[in-house]
Amino acid sequence: MTGKTPGNDNKDPAKGLRIISTINPTRLILWLVAITIVSFVIGFSILFLASGVPGNTGEPIAAFKLSAISNSTAFPLDGASAGNVLLTFGPGNLEISGGSAGDNLMEATVYAGSAPWEPEVSENTTGPVKTLSVTDKGHHSKEFFAVDAKRQWKIHLNEQVPIGLDVTIGVGDSRLDLGDLNLTALNVNAGVGGSEIDLGGYHGGRFDAMINSGVGDLELRVPSMSNTRITTSNGLGDVDVKGLRFDNGAYVTPGYDSAKPVNEIQIQHKVGSVTLEAV
Amino acid sequence: MQKNEQEYLAILRTRLSGTLPQENLDDILSDYAEHFRIGKSKGRSEEDLYTSLGSPEEVAREIKATYMVTKAEETRSCGNILHAVLSTIGLGLFNLVFVLVPFIVLVILLGLIFLAGVMFSVMGPVMFVFALLPILGISSFDFWFSPAAGLFFSIGITSFGILMIIGDYYLARTFYYLGIRYLKWNINVIKGTESIV
Repeated sequence: MTGKTPGNDNKDPAKGLRIISTINPTRLILWLVAITIVSFVIGFSILFLASGVPGNTGEPIAAFKLSAISNSTAFPLDGASAGNVLLTFGPGNLEISGGSAGDNLMEATVYAGSAPWEPEVSENTTGPVKTLSVTDKGHHSKEFFAVDAKRQWKIHLNEQVPIGLDVTIGVGDSRLDLGDLNLTALNVNAGVGGSEIDLGGYHGGRFDAMINSGVGDLELRVPSMSNTRITTSNGLGDVDVKGLRFDNGAYVTPGYDSAKPVNEIQIQHKVGSVTLEAV
Repeated sequence: MQKNEQEYLAILRTRLSGTLPQENLDDILSDYAEHFRIGKSKGRSEEDLYTSLGSPEEVAREIKATYMVTKAEETRSCGNILHAVLSTIGLGLFNLVFVLVPFIVLVILLGLIFLAGVMFSVMGPVMFVFALLPILGISSFDFWFSPAAGLFFSIGITSFGILMIIGDYYLARTFYYLGIRYLKWNINVIKGTESIV
């Protein structure tokens, strides 16, 4: 018996082709046109509505201010005479500079799209050293609207107390104006984006710095009157040097004297140009 | 080289064999032999008839171009239209400008539309995934300003890409049809059976 049973239909390789051949091209085109138009109309409507969602304007988020200590974005020294600041930032723009009030280790303003994106803060004081950690959690909550809102951190650090600064940046541009600080150590890990580290006018104590940069341009300015030695390990990209001289495998400031305390800066850069300048 | 019937038919045979089917070639040679026979019966010399029929090389090129265009019209394929275009270009250097350039421009245009369609069709589902991840609470690269909008945009982009591919197919068919007509007109103008204006 050669008659087809219903169960044999699934094994018929020509079935799919027959179904395709029965599709009316005009109807298919009309359906596609309708789907395209309706999809874009709904998409733009959602965008239009999402632009009015509260908390999507890039204003500093209240939740972070309120959750921080003393109902403020200020993080006091709490009697500590030194600090370690660890900042872990995801995508966005990061600005760090001096200018914090004398009794605060750090003052921060966080701009983000909505409250769930506020960073995690952890504080710990051990003896004379206060350790402050601020971490961008990233997007782990369910988000339907406005994920790509503006994100920016503006950090002001204490200029008097010695600070060990550790900064990790994901994707985005960063500007670190550290000339007014008193550093004990500096670690910068930048992923993708331009980084500008300005130590111009630095008059604090001796420090060692390690700068790891992934993809993007890196600019580093050091005071020409300082005793600074910079070693670079550059992948793809040019190294542009201004006001520094090359001495024994490293760039040094004009008055460099190895017998005196030296600020050692190591740079590991993968892709992009590096600009080193003594100012 | 003697300008006689035998020489004329030999050149035609050499130029057209391998291009035309044997049956068509025999018909054409028979027609031209008939021209010579009738002419000679009216007292004209073979050399006179040879000259009046036109250069056998040019005649062969025209026959070849006409055959290729007809073949392309009967059987649609990229190879056939390409051969038709190349045969028509062989009729005169000016056809490099009037045939080859428009042909290349159209091929590039159709190719770009097709590539754009494929790109949108492939990008759409990828964008859909990037829209879906934040909705599911999975951390990812923030591609869309609004994931909910992104879902619909990616569906729209996919269907638009498919529409472009389908549109490209119909556009290619239209260009094919118009191209055949243009090539026929071009051949007729060169033969002198049709005027430009």
